[in-house]
Amino acid sequence: MRTFLPVEDLARDDRFVRYTMRERMADKRASARIDAKERSKTSNRITPDRRDGADAARGLMHGILVGEIQALEGAGRTCHDFRVTGIAERGPLATQPIADAAPAAEVPFALKLDMARQAWDEARHVEISVKLAEWMGSDIGSVAENTVLFEAACSTDPVLRLAGVNRALEGLAIDVFTTMKEFGELAQDPYLAFCEDWMLADEVTHVKMGSDWLRSLTANDPARRERALEFQRVVDKMFSFGGTRSDSMDSPIGLARRFRELAGFTDDEVADIAEVSLQALNERKQSIRAARQSSAHSTAGIEPAGFEPAGIEPAETA
Amino acid sequence: MADPYKPRAPFAPWDRRDLPGLFDVEETARRVGNYKWAEMKLFEALGGWVATVPELDVKMRLGTHCYKHAWHAELWHKRLPELREMNPDRLTVPANDAFVAFVEGVTEPEAPGLTIEKLVGVYRVFLPHLVGAYTFHLNATSEITDAPTIRSLKFILQDDMEDWREGEMLIQSLIETPEEVDRAAAHQARLEKLIVAAGGVAGPGSIGRQPASV
Ligand SMILES: [Fe+2]
Ligand SMILES: [Fe+2]
Repeated sequence: MRTFLPVEDLARDDRFVRYTMRERMADKRASARIDAKERSKTSNRITPDRRDGADAARGLMHGILVGEIQALEGAGRTCHDFRVTGIAERGPLATQPIADAAPAAEVPFALKLDMARQAWDEARHVEISVKLAEWMGSDIGSVAENTVLFEAACSTDPVLRLAGVNRALEGLAIDVFTTMKEFGELAQDPYLAFCEDWMLADEVTHVKMGSDWLRSLTANDPARRERALEFQRVVDKMFSFGGTRSDSMDSPIGLARRFRELAGFTDDEVADIAEVSLQALNERKQSIRAARQSSAHSTAGIEPAGFEPAGIEPAETA
Repeated sequence: MADPYKPRAPFAPWDRRDLPGLFDVEETARRVGNYKWAEMKLFEALGGWVATVPELDVKMRLGTHCYKHAWHAELWHKRLPELREMNPDRLTVPANDAFVAFVEGVTEPEAPGLTIEKLVGVYRVFLPHLVGAYTFHLNATSEITDAPTIRSLKFILQDDMEDWREGEMLIQSLIETPEEVDRAAAHQARLEKLIVAAGGVAGPGSIGRQPASV
């Protein structure tokens, strides 16, 4: 088996439909499909009282399901793709060229143990998500799968993997699960709230693993740490695209500050993410206003709709 | 209540544990180092395969079993310094080159259509041999001096017996045609030959040696 499996080779059964981040970004429907009058005037947060609340939650749940599958795959690959520091390699890894990151392609034994533990946790999350998706009335494959999480797990530097997956995407998972848990509580759905509560506990653990390894592996290598944090920022920004997640009630998903603190984010780091996501939200509002103004010019007589940000883009989270 | 100062036998009548064992500290450490190497290769392979199998149920089970073998490797890693091996990495080695060739054979299948081969390698060859080596160790080591190894072996064997059954049932559910039966059998035979050449997970004597004459 090769090390470093390309994202195109992720194995799925026939139910799944895949689309890329590029296709997602280019999808014009994301900014044009919304009629604000259909929804609450005061908040875009996914709540049961939104008229499209059930659909939004179902879409998000499917995003969670495929995110969990990719998180499982990513953690598994990290168990496999790197040599263990101190162990003389025998067999295929001994002769296989390790892409372009030879010095980084070693990890401590304990890091692999953490990743194996995460693989088990993510396997449980897939089990939970399959059952929850069924409970909420959606079928596997009913929403297209974006494989960006696994793409972040393809980095040849394990520190970048942990920054991108464990800190950025699993951090987003904390935000998503908090929102879904609140949704479950508001909807008086104890099944949903119960499951999200448990998954949230695991995700805080995964993010903390990422924070701890990032700090310890780069303790004497500030340049590598900076590269990893930059990679994390890129992934964070990607998922703040369209203002899907921010402190503002205009975002469907909130920023779970308290759980992020537990997971090892510093106050400054949380503030950074809050700023990036708010910026993304404002950019989104701006671009929608501009688009509506130009369409108003060309469609005189049609009342322009109010603002609605990214809506219910299903976020792939772990 | 009985008089607390009345002398009692140090070993209760039902405690039949015995002192002698087949392995000294050095041999125990050697075997434990081989076990750790084998468990590492196993959890790395299971983790790597998760992304390569399309079957969702298999994907989840591989993730679960990956962790269990990582935990077994950790148990052996922690046991090594207690066996006078202060540098556990030194003994974290395969039993011999033939065992490396066996592991290469097990981990070779990658394509999404090869789930049967992946599972057969682990659940019909690797794991049964691991169970054999662990069972022999459990039965042959000193029940008193080597109690910490015995405790780990019992935990690990419990996991392995459950996983073996689960893996075997997955294989049975995937094999639907005579051709698939042949595929599974051919792959099993190929790997079985490789592990026979290695003498097992801990090399020759993994499950003991037959006396020269009976
Ligand atoms: Fe996670
Ligand atoms: Fe997860």
